[in-house]
Amino acid sequence: MNDLPTPTAQKPITERRDSQVMLSRVANSLYWMSRYIERSENVARLLDVNLQLMLDFADFNDQQLKEHWLPILCSAGDEETFFSFYDRADSENVTEFLTFREENPNSIISCLFTARENARQVRDQISLEMFESLNECYLFLKSRNAREIWQTGAHDFYEQIKKYSHLFQGLTASTFTRSEGYEFINIGKFLERADKTTRILDIKYHILLPSVADIGGAVDAAQWQAILRSASALEAYRRFHVEDILPKKVAEFLIFSTTFPRSIRACMQRLDDELHRLSGKERREYRSPEERAFGKLLSDLNFLTIDEIQTSGLHEFLQGVQTVLDRLDDHIYREYMFHPPVDIQAEILLHQQQMQQQQ
Amino acid sequence: MIPQSDTTSSSSVEPPWIEPLLLTISHLTRYTYEGPVQDSFNEARLQPVTDQLQQCREFRFRLDPDAQVWDYPDFYSNCVHYFDVQNPHESLEVEAVSVVQTLPESRGPVPEAGPESLLDPRLQEQYFDFLHSSEFVSLGADVWREAVDALPGSLRDVWSDTVAIGEHIHRNYKYSPLSTNVNTRAFEVIKRKQGVCQDFAHLMLGLLRTHGIPSRYVSGYFLNPRKFPGEIEASHAWVEVFLPGFGWKGYDPTHRRQTDSRYVKIAVGRDYADIRPVGGTFRGKGTREMVVEVSVQRVS
Amino acid sequence: MLLDRYEPEDFFDEMFADKATVRPHYGKIADRFQTLDQAEHRRKQTAVDLAFMRSGVTFTVYNDDQGTERIFPFDLVPRVIPDSEWQKIEKGLIQRITALNLFLHDIYHGQKILKDRVIPPHYILGAKHFRREFMGFNVPKDIYIHICGTDLIRDRCGNYLVLEDNLRCPSGASYMLENRAALKRAFPDLYRSARVQPVDNYATELRKLLQHVSPPSLGTSQPNVVLMTPGVFNSAYFEHAFLARQMGIPIVEGRDLVVRDAKVYMRTTSGLVPVDVIYRRIDDDFLDPTVFRPDSLLGVPGLVHAYRSGNVSLANSIGTGVADDKVVYYFVPKIIKYYLGEEPILPNVGTFLASEPEDRGFIMENLGKLVVKSANEAGGYGMLMGPWASKEEIESFREQIRANPRNFIAQHPISLSRHPTWCHGDSGEGFEGRHVDLRPYILFGEKTTVTPGGLTRVALRKGSLVVNSSQGGGSKDTWVLYGDS
Repeated sequence: MNDLPTPTAQKPITERRDSQVMLSRVANSLYWMSRYIERSENVARLLDVNLQLMLDFADFNDQQLKEHWLPILCSAGDEETFFSFYDRADSENVTEFLTFREENPNSIISCLFTARENARQVRDQISLEMFESLNECYLFLKSRNAREIWQTGAHDFYEQIKKYSHLFQGLTASTFTRSEGYEFINIGKFLERADKTTRILDIKYHILLPSVADIGGAVDAAQWQAILRSASALEAYRRFHVEDILPKKVAEFLIFSTTFPRSIRACMQRLDDELHRLSGKERREYRSPEERAFGKLLSDLNFLTIDEIQTSGLHEFLQGVQTVLDRLDDHIYREYMFHPPVDIQAEILLHQQQMQQQQ
Repeated sequence: MIPQSDTTSSSSVEPPWIEPLLLTISHLTRYTYEGPVQDSFNEARLQPVTDQLQQCREFRFRLDPDAQVWDYPDFYSNCVHYFDVQNPHESLEVEAVSVVQTLPESRGPVPEAGPESLLDPRLQEQYFDFLHSSEFVSLGADVWREAVDALPGSLRDVWSDTVAIGEHIHRNYKYSPLSTNVNTRAFEVIKRKQGVCQDFAHLMLGLLRTHGIPSRYVSGYFLNPRKFPGEIEASHAWVEVFLPGFGWKGYDPTHRRQTDSRYVKIAVGRDYADIRPVGGTFRGKGTREMVVEVSVQRVS
Repeated sequence: MLLDRYEPEDFFDEMFADKATVRPHYGKIADRFQTLDQAEHRRKQTAVDLAFMRSGVTFTVYNDDQGTERIFPFDLVPRVIPDSEWQKIEKGLIQRITALNLFLHDIYHGQKILKDRVIPPHYILGAKHFRREFMGFNVPKDIYIHICGTDLIRDRCGNYLVLEDNLRCPSGASYMLENRAALKRAFPDLYRSARVQPVDNYATELRKLLQHVSPPSLGTSQPNVVLMTPGVFNSAYFEHAFLARQMGIPIVEGRDLVVRDAKVYMRTTSGLVPVDVIYRRIDDDFLDPTVFRPDSLLGVPGLVHAYRSGNVSLANSIGTGVADDKVVYYFVPKIIKYYLGEEPILPNVGTFLASEPEDRGFIMENLGKLVVKSANEAGGYGMLMGPWASKEEIESFREQIRANPRNFIAQHPISLSRHPTWCHGDSGEGFEGRHVDLRPYILFGEKTTVTPGGLTRVALRKGSLVVNSSQGGGSKDTWVLYGDS
């Protein structure tokens, strides 16, 4: 994302004059509304699982706490921002930062706020029920009641968040017209979900390097269970793999499973379907280098094995997936949402040409 | 273009130049932006008029980056050039180069016109816009008080009174660049007691209109032979008053004199808002710098 | 039963000729409402309110960042107009809009009406919304006012009078449509038996009208029509979205549009799609920052240039505000006479102009008895209700009039007609008389259509004459019958 994209100020002018068009701004809002809701749900799940995990490790010292929470913190927040508000990276601080901190753009409350703002912009495109459910969730989060629930029983709190998200997604599936807008909503959801699954796997592998003594031990097993729970995959995994939780199998499951809907491959398959529906192109035809890279990755997923990934490095593989998804997000923006900021860092503001005083 | 503190005594007024002049004028405006900008939509009023006092022989309009230019006459018959630059660009140059032949005043001497000549309802209607408040010149209490100071008695003769108002401004206001900005209103000039030609023009319009004299803002250039080294030129502003039985006649309050063949007119309007040399909107980060370079030379 | 205790009092009542006599065209309605009891009324009212919330026909009150949505209070009893009365109203409205369109064309071209001294020119030249930039400009099909909402009231004798014409961005048509839908659901049998003229074709007619004024350069191709809104933060946004949906046209904001080569396009996921006609619900001032207010973020840079080049049509056209001016309202009877050679079918409310010396004297002496209005405000603001105002308010207006007489008109307060309306008072709930007005919608296109009925607005506060939504107003469905009873 270093070079300036070629300006699409010269977007093709269509001769279409029908009214079944989707405004770029509306596509953008639907896409981000969907992504942010998915994001908030994932953060909720992640925090819930890890809080429960902590119950089993009540005797962690500060250093161990930090080691446990830091990667989670980094996946949904910024370390520097965190330490400007808190001294210790303990359970309470980190979960508060990732749940209620408005200064953290990826906290649950920030995600839902942004989702709601986007939904408001396209208020007349989404059904009343969809908007109401989102609105209720947001108002719940802002209420004092939410804080109290969180303090006394965080699990119930995060369950509630998940419920709102599921409600929203269910309402969307049942009330949103099957149209281009629906494709953007789904693309947002699956892209975010795929991305989050890579991060969940990465958390475990990147920082929590297993010490030789721990492998196979209770600590390790509990942590792998937590990974599965973070992706709501525990029961699905157990149904698939009758035997014990083995790290390699877990990674394989979460990457390659075609039956478990949150696996990276399953998400990417759905993404591929939606992208083609949107672009109207044939299978295996792609609109840009980024889309092609995505197609190639999907193809790789159909042929790679977990051993090959482990040899070349799980972390590197996961990073690679994140990069492809990132660039895909870029592609979607440029291709459909139009007029990207010429200066990517800048906000596009409308300015008056400076006027010259007559001397 | 600093008219004060020159060597001639400030109580004498120079005689008007009557010699017709062939002048070449270049007016360059360059905007440099903080970053690439796009979707720039602009209007420019830079083309000198052709009327009984001047002929615009040549006019060239140049843009960098290049873009299509349309033109149309606005409500006051000023020639407006409209252009938009869609593609990203980091700077915008608008240059107008013209060759103008100024002509001597051929209408004869200004006839006497008493205040009753201004009460003609047809005059009031036809020049309605030039008798009432406008964006930069609101005829409120401040302006009214100043107008009474400038002409304590009642009107006697429209042109003499115009000159008297001009003298009043010269005596009581200081030419002071950077004391005001492009958005300064007439009543603010009265408070500050200083300004530049745009402000003096607005001020004078406020005083003239309060006294019921139809008057309009004029944007243009003038030949300044006494340029000091390093002096920057910009476009100039003065006023025109309507003299019954004669027509529009120009007066430059900044130089405390009637306009003559040194002056080139581009546009007229109620105030600055109607004649903006270059104005518009664009998207992106803001303007880092705006540079204006004007040069008015005699063609020998 | 519910209507038994109703008191028409000393006003013209829409339903009752006197306490004991129901007007013939209200016969069926009165019968039906007499069979209602409080509980049933409450049930129906709740159902209707809920339905409004669901459909999103609300206006937004932004006093916190949540943005509370309120429904425009709706009263169940419809206002009924017999066909014979309506015929006259319709003719009068068509006459008025025809004359006003001719007037606007003249004002922006030859200005003959000013040259002939029918209207003192300074009223037009000094009008806040007179757009000098559009002198000499030819609008498609010479139509300036495409959509007009004219406010009508009735005096004590039951005569219809025109209160004002709204022809910049008149609103409320969505309420008219939703009110009808609500009443059909609440009282289906009554509706059927009453034989009411339908209003459902409003959206179709509006769409036809918008297509009719597509730019000549387009030839016979189907034009792309869009509705331009200031956005979700505008209190009338839901009406915009509602109408766009009803017409099946895209709703866009300024930022969705872009001008290229003097043509207007929408930014869509498929590229730039040409836009030919814009039904704009944004005032002139905010349309284009290059020409009008430079600080407007709602507009489209270059839009006026495209308009001027004849590549896009706007409904209503730029510059109609000059006819919206309350001072010009004073001259409308003369305007009708001048262009059509006819007497106005619908009279104005008697008006005094503060800028005319004889009128001014009268106004100043009688401020406590008159209704004084600002020439260019809307929504009931900038208004003095003399008989109900405090001394300070009166003196403040006196100062304002002295400072800027051109900006004020005055009228005798008209004792508006009243209508039984369900009220919640200290003494409980019940039907009481409340003042009403009527806003029919006129569409001026290939043919001129007036939707039968329109929006009846009710001043919900006891004794109040102010009917606007932002100031405690509500609405009713309006039924124009096929016959007279």
